[in-house]
Formats: sequence, structure tokens, C-alpha cells
Amino acid sequence: MALPAPSGPGVRPAAAPLPFLLLAGAGAAFFILPLIGLLLRTPWNLAWDQLRSTEVLTALRLSMLASLSATAVALVFGVPLAWTFARVTFPGRAVLRAMTVLPMVLPPVVGGVALLLAFGRQGLVGSWLAQVLGIHLPFTTAGAVIAETFVAMPFLVITVEAGLRSMDMRFEDAARTLGASRSTVFWRVTLPLVRPSLVAGAVLCWARALGEFGATITFAGNFPGRTQTMPLAVYLALESNPQAAIVLSLLLLSVSLAVLIALRDRWLGTP
Amino acid sequence: MTLDAQIQATVGAFDLDVELSVAAGDVVAVLGPNGAGKTSLMRALAGLLPLAGGRVALDGNVLEEPAAGVRVPTERRPIGMVFQDYLLFPHLSVAENVAFGLRARGMAHAPALAEAGRWLARVGLPVEGDRKPASLSGGQAQRVALARALASHPALLLLDEPMAALDASTRVELRRDLRRHLESFRGVRLLVTHDPVEAMAMADRLVVLEHGRVLQSGSPSEVTQHPRSRYVADLVGVNLFRGRASHDVITLAGGGTLTAAGAGNGDVFAVVHPRTVALFRSRPDGTPRNVWEGRAVDLDLQADRVRVHLAGSPSIVAEVTPAAVRELGLDRGDQVWIAVKATEVNVYPA
Repeated sequence: MALPAPSGPGVRPAAAPLPFLLLAGAGAAFFILPLIGLLLRTPWNLAWDQLRSTEVLTALRLSMLASLSATAVALVFGVPLAWTFARVTFPGRAVLRAMTVLPMVLPPVVGGVALLLAFGRQGLVGSWLAQVLGIHLPFTTAGAVIAETFVAMPFLVITVEAGLRSMDMRFEDAARTLGASRSTVFWRVTLPLVRPSLVAGAVLCWARALGEFGATITFAGNFPGRTQTMPLAVYLALESNPQAAIVLSLLLLSVSLAVLIALRDRWLGTP
Repeated sequence: MTLDAQIQATVGAFDLDVELSVAAGDVVAVLGPNGAGKTSLMRALAGLLPLAGGRVALDGNVLEEPAAGVRVPTERRPIGMVFQDYLLFPHLSVAENVAFGLRARGMAHAPALAEAGRWLARVGLPVEGDRKPASLSGGQAQRVALARALASHPALLLLDEPMAALDASTRVELRRDLRRHLESFRGVRLLVTHDPVEAMAMADRLVVLEHGRVLQSGSPSEVTQHPRSRYVADLVGVNLFRGRASHDVITLAGGGTLTAAGAGNGDVFAVVHPRTVALFRSRPDGTPRNVWEGRAVDLDLQADRVRVHLAGSPSIVAEVTPAAVRELGLDRGDQVWIAVKATEVNVYPA
């Protein structure tokens, strides 16, 4: 008797039960319909004018500034944090790591409240910052950056940490046998080798920061030109100027799509 | 220049306890099966694996001695290391890889690259500098790794399985090249391998390692002719000949000839396992192609077998059972006929 040819899971065409296919179709439609709605209802003839209106431009500029700043802050603090999680064993590491990625699952509004309690006028650090240094973070652009960093940095940390864990550490050994100091090894070997993770983490972090809503509105408020980022502008425009809201949404959607395409090798794989 | 090392180190449940002394004139090969602790030994010498005890001194300078609180970090040891899979930095060009050690030790970019170019020419890759390591063949990668390790003029050169990542067809040629480069290097040379033929071809001295301990050390001929344990005998206790093959007949450097199936032409190593050497009281007839007369100079009893050292042309070691020795009535000084089938002579290009 001939043995059947081996086949991997999911490789051969399967005869799925009909109800199963219907459910899968409904699930897919759930994702596709809102996108179609957005595209169909976009007032294309007005889109360009809407994009050029002052309020949209202001929100766009602020969003760019805040999200890019948040990404920069996340890189400065997140890469060393990721390196520490990947390479240093210390008591409480698991707990600390869980706390730093908590914002990924925490409702952003709760994050905003927590930020107020820490950096607000009466907050743990905030009162000291206000009294000693005269720095007020809540309801400022800096506050918006902090809110976005809080929510977005975990994406960078876990991506870079995964990259560091999967890299072959013997490259670092090789560099050390060639006389490279620890900092030379880090800058000339470690960072270049985890560059794909670094780029992916930064893009992910930036996309998350760009879309941030809950923590920003709670901690930084909603002041046009100061803390009113694109998602906030979209939400408000929905009441006053729905067409502007749709155009802004389309803009944010394009950014998300661009990110997805840029990172396709990482997420979508190659079919 | 000499390396003196007593290495005690622990890796997980495995512990390494090795004493090693290497003079600059010798190429020393550490030979052992996978898991014997060879790579750990290399890492310990490089300072990548901290010692639990012992001492590593190069030319009298102590690199590490836990009892005295001395530990020179890897980056300040005068070493060059060729790793098993070469570990060329994939993001740097070939020339930048070779220049890496010079740059790390403070040389400016341009002179470091110029020096790297000279090293690449020396290992026979004068125009490959701009390529990325991923585009190199295994043999080219090995030469780049060697150039990278040698470029900063180390006092101690460590090679961890330098041939393991190569395919059999390029191995012979590269072994010859590597041997030549090792000969021109003035420093302490230590090579790790699991391949006995490679060890004997490359090294002046063998150190046989198993389970983190040295079983035996000595010149290749000492170790192969007088293996001091069953394990060493199985691993390297073979008859190794050098010679020149012509139409399947090998004229041996030490006198005599051997006929081998498929020996080809040119310089070769011929390896004959003692188990395959048959002994007779009178000239045997039959198919063996290699039949000659020799004198038993020594009988070496090892548990369940006897290693008979035979002087003749060539001299050879046979391994027979004690019962066979009794049947032959064999004793020191006796003349016997020696037979080896042509198919039992394994030939390796030298």
C-alpha cells in the first residue's frame, strides 16, 4: 500500500463546512465594510479644500510634531530598556517588564488619569516639577507628547527586545575578540544587527502615537494648536463638520495602510 | 612566546578542567568529539567564558587568574579568533570586517581600510573588499575571517573548527592554504577540530579532549601509534602515512608502497585502521593487494585487544585479539606477513 504524500497543516485545500465559511465571510465583511463606507462617503471634490483648511493643517502639524517627538523619546528610553530586558537578569525583571507593556492593554483613558496623578498639578512628580522647576505638563504640547509616549513606547520596547533576543550574540563576542569595547560593540554591531526590529518598532510606535486619543484628551486636553491632534480633531469635527472628519479619517487610514505595507514582510509574510 | 593555561570552568552542568601549554613554534590541535568542551576551552582562553579557577598566561603575562582577582577582559587580550561559522558581520563590507579590529583599537578609517586591503590580498582575495559577506563562498568567508583575526597582529590565534562549515570539495585546498597561513604567523596557534585527519594534517601537536578533560597529548605520530586509552585508539589510533600517489599506488615518504583503491595522483595521506591489518605466519595467498613482511617490535595489550607494532617497509600497527596472538604464537622479534586490502586504505589529498 502506498503511503499518502506528506502535507503540512493548511497546505492542501480543505472542504470547510458551509456555516463555518459564512461566519468567516461575515468576519471579513466586518473589517471591509467600514473601509468601503469611508471611501464611498468621502467628498472627493471637497477633499483637497478640506485638507488645506487651517484647522486641519493645524491638527496635522501638531500630530506630526507630537507623534515624531514621542517616537524620539521612545527611542532614547525604550532601546536601553529593551536591551536591559533582553540582556540583564535581575530580580523583579518579569514584573517590571509587565508594567512597561501594560499600556498596550490598558484603556488609554485610564492611562491618561494615571498620568494626571503622576505628572498633574497635584501629582506625585508634577507638583514638584511645578514648584521647583516651574514646569507644567498637563494641557500642553509636551503633555500630549508624554501621553503619546506612554501609550506607544511599549510597542517599540517589545519589538526591539524580541530583535535583541533573536540575534546571534556571538557576533558581539566576535567584536570583543577584535578589541571592541562594550560601547563600540553596541553601536557598531548590536544596533546595526537589530536594525530591522528597530525600524519596525519605531514605525509601530509612531503609528500608535499618531492615533492616540484617550490618554491625550485626558492628560493634555483638547486645545487647537496645542494639544488637539488629528484623532481629537476628527472626533470634534464629526459634530461640526462631518465632511472634514471623513477626510481626516481617510488621511489617518492612509498612514496606517502605508505602515502596514512598509512592514509587510514582518506581518503579512509572503504567501 | 608561549601560552600556559590551566582552565577550570563550568558551563551549565558541564565542567572543564584542562591544562594546556603551547609554544609559538607549534600548531596545536585540540581534538575531541562534539560536546567534549573544545569550544568552551576556546571561549575561556578568549575571556568570553569566565574561569572558576586556574590561570591563563600568555608570554608570562597573566590574562586571568581568579584566585588573584585578575581578569583581562576579552577586548584587551592580544588574541585573534576564527569562529566556527566565521561570524563575519553581515552589515559591513568584507574590507570593513577585516578593518574592524584595527578601527576598534583606534586606527583611523582610511589607514585601517588600506591595511585591510593588504590583508585581503595576502589571503588571496584582493578584489573582494567591497562585497558583503553574504555573497562570499564558504572558503572565501573563511579567508576573510582569518584575515580579520590576523589583521590586528594578535599574539594568540584561536581557530574553532575552521573547516567545519566548508564542503568536502573545497576542504583540502583550504586546509593547505590555512596551514600555510598558520606557518607564516608568529604567535601561539591553537586549533580545535573534531576531525582526526584534519588535526593530524594541520598540527604539530595533538591534545585529545573528552568530557572536558585532556586524555592524551603529544605529536600526531606519538598519539596515533601509542593511544593510551581505548577512546583515543578508536579516535586517532590509526596508521597515518604520507606519500605520493600515482595510478593507485602510493609511494610512502617513510619507505614502502601501498596500493589503494581510487588513490588518484598527487600528494596524499593514507590512513589504515589497525583493525584492518591482518597478520600471517606464512605468506598469504588470496586477494589482499598489500602484502609485506615485518617484525613484531612490540605487543601492547589493551583490555580485549593487542596492538602489535610492526617494523617493516612500511612500519605499521595491527590490532588483533589476544586469541589471534596465541594462535600465531606471536612474540616480540618474530617475523610475520602483513596484509592490508586495497579497499581498507583510506586516501585523503594532502
